[in-house]
Amino acid sequence: MRLRRELLLAAPAALLLAGFFLLPVAAVAVDALREGTLAFTRVFALPAFWPSLAGSLLLTLVAASVSTLIGVAVALHLSRLPERQRTLLSFVIALPLTFSGLIVAYGFILGYGRAGFVTQLLGLAGFDAAVIGKALFTPVGLAFASSYYLIPRVVMGILPVLVNFDRAQMAAAESLGATPSQAFRQVMLPQVAAPVGAAFCLVAAVVFGAYGTALALVGTQLHILPLQLYSLISETGTDFPAAAALALLIAAVCSTIMTTGEWFGSRHERHL
Amino acid sequence: MNGPPAVRLQDVSFRYPGGAAGVFDIGLEIAPGELVVCIGPSGCGKTTLLRLIAGFLRVDAGRVELGGRDVTAATVRSRECGVVFQSYALFPHMSVRANVAYPLRVRKVEVGARERRAEAMLELVDLAGFGDRLPGELSGGQQQRVALARALVFEPRALLLDEPLSALDAATRLTMRDEIRRIQKRQNIASLLITHDQDEALSLADRVAVLRDGRLVQVATPQEIYDHPADAFVANFVGRANLIDGEVVAGDAVDTPIGRLAVPARSQPPGTRVRLLVRPERILPQPAAGGENVFAAAVVHDRFFGANREIELAVGRGSLKVETTVRGEITHVHVPRDAVQFLSPP
Repeated sequence: MRLRRELLLAAPAALLLAGFFLLPVAAVAVDALREGTLAFTRVFALPAFWPSLAGSLLLTLVAASVSTLIGVAVALHLSRLPERQRTLLSFVIALPLTFSGLIVAYGFILGYGRAGFVTQLLGLAGFDAAVIGKALFTPVGLAFASSYYLIPRVVMGILPVLVNFDRAQMAAAESLGATPSQAFRQVMLPQVAAPVGAAFCLVAAVVFGAYGTALALVGTQLHILPLQLYSLISETGTDFPAAAALALLIAAVCSTIMTTGEWFGSRHERHL
Repeated sequence: MNGPPAVRLQDVSFRYPGGAAGVFDIGLEIAPGELVVCIGPSGCGKTTLLRLIAGFLRVDAGRVELGGRDVTAATVRSRECGVVFQSYALFPHMSVRANVAYPLRVRKVEVGARERRAEAMLELVDLAGFGDRLPGELSGGQQQRVALARALVFEPRALLLDEPLSALDAATRLTMRDEIRRIQKRQNIASLLITHDQDEALSLADRVAVLRDGRLVQVATPQEIYDHPADAFVANFVGRANLIDGEVVAGDAVDTPIGRLAVPARSQPPGTRVRLLVRPERILPQPAAGGENVFAAAVVHDRFFGANREIELAVGRGSLKVETTVRGEITHVHVPRDAVQFLSPP
């Protein structure tokens, strides 16, 4: 009886998963493997594949690291605030998640592009406006723009952990002779490392597969895998099996990162 | 007392920003090896006092000394106080041994030496053999022992315990009460224990400090506090009390709502308003009327606790609380003259 009720409750989600994830992935897989492994070989032979993989990895590493660092600092600050203030600020911080990648890209071009007002202000302050204006359209610049919607994901992910952390432990460490830095490194960090790792993996997976902001910001001139996939699909005389193979590769990398994140998360739960 | 007190507070005041709460004009000394228990109702400033000594809060005015050294402006870690928190605040990711050795680790004591000292402390708190476990695998009482061992292992200047027993069940609390006393005496360390439990205060303390609205009302031995409370608040807060308002009619008699009471002679003119204290256990049930300070009584509430009874009696126009081992019916009570104390007037 109980099992039947649980199956009924799980049915809507299972249907959605099957209809909008498993079925499309299966269709893509069939397309990719129609000629055996030939489609994958063609993908690896593309002149832009390896630079795109390197660009994606650089973008992922920089964006996820910067977002995690800033997100942890923001969440630490929020966790120390009274509940009302924290709720209000959390709402403001979550706002970027509601914007589409197109709007984010447009905002960054207006602010930090070649004619952006921040670029011009920095130019007036003596910096080289041409260099700053070009930086936005590099993997590091894209990482900077991506952080805008990755940081809120990190904050939302680890804030509950930090709020529930027993702060008396930090006071105890300090009274026992630890410096604030020792207390953070030896007492707090080991206990929140797993959720922080999970948050890092989540945003890494998101940014590795994201293409909306990148496309709107730099078109297809930047070498990253999602834009490579976009080029493959939009070209005339498209090699669909190769596009499907590349899509599978991107999905596999994202899934691996997400699985690592889940593993980090479960480690934390085991310690609770 | 030879040498300076281990802890000295001189005219210490602190007010929480934006509020009226805090502690005011606190003067308190704790001698080496002495255990002072600070007691008072919720919000009276007990924990604030502890946090001021530990350095978690900075005084607005006054001076804090530890071992004769002015630490008013010193950081928490340089004060070297062992603090035991209400929630124990053990590090859940470290083994019991690593928890106890932590103060030695941050002092860069060599690994072998710190493990030996941690094991010795664990032995002192009867937890030898538990070193490899995680705190989450221990009972509340055992966690409390670990917290105590951790707070003592670096030989602190003073031991500060913030309601250390409040999270324990009644039976464990009694055992831990004795354990804390045993270990504190063995280490001969100046200690301040915060509690709102009067039994805990009376049974543990060398001296009890009673705090009310951020001010020290009385600091004395448990017996002195109980037998000669400074005022009605202390009398009522420490132990049960009959507080009886009345008017002096002669040098040794006071008219009260329960009747005319013969009291120890005092040179107070007739008509003076006085407040009297009679402890419930000093009132004696009597089989019949007759004699000095014997009053007819009617039972209002009768609570049986096995060894004794706590009874509320209607007496004259007033009431009395009585604690007695007498099992039978109670119709009269005797208030011995020497059981009556004068408190400050209402």
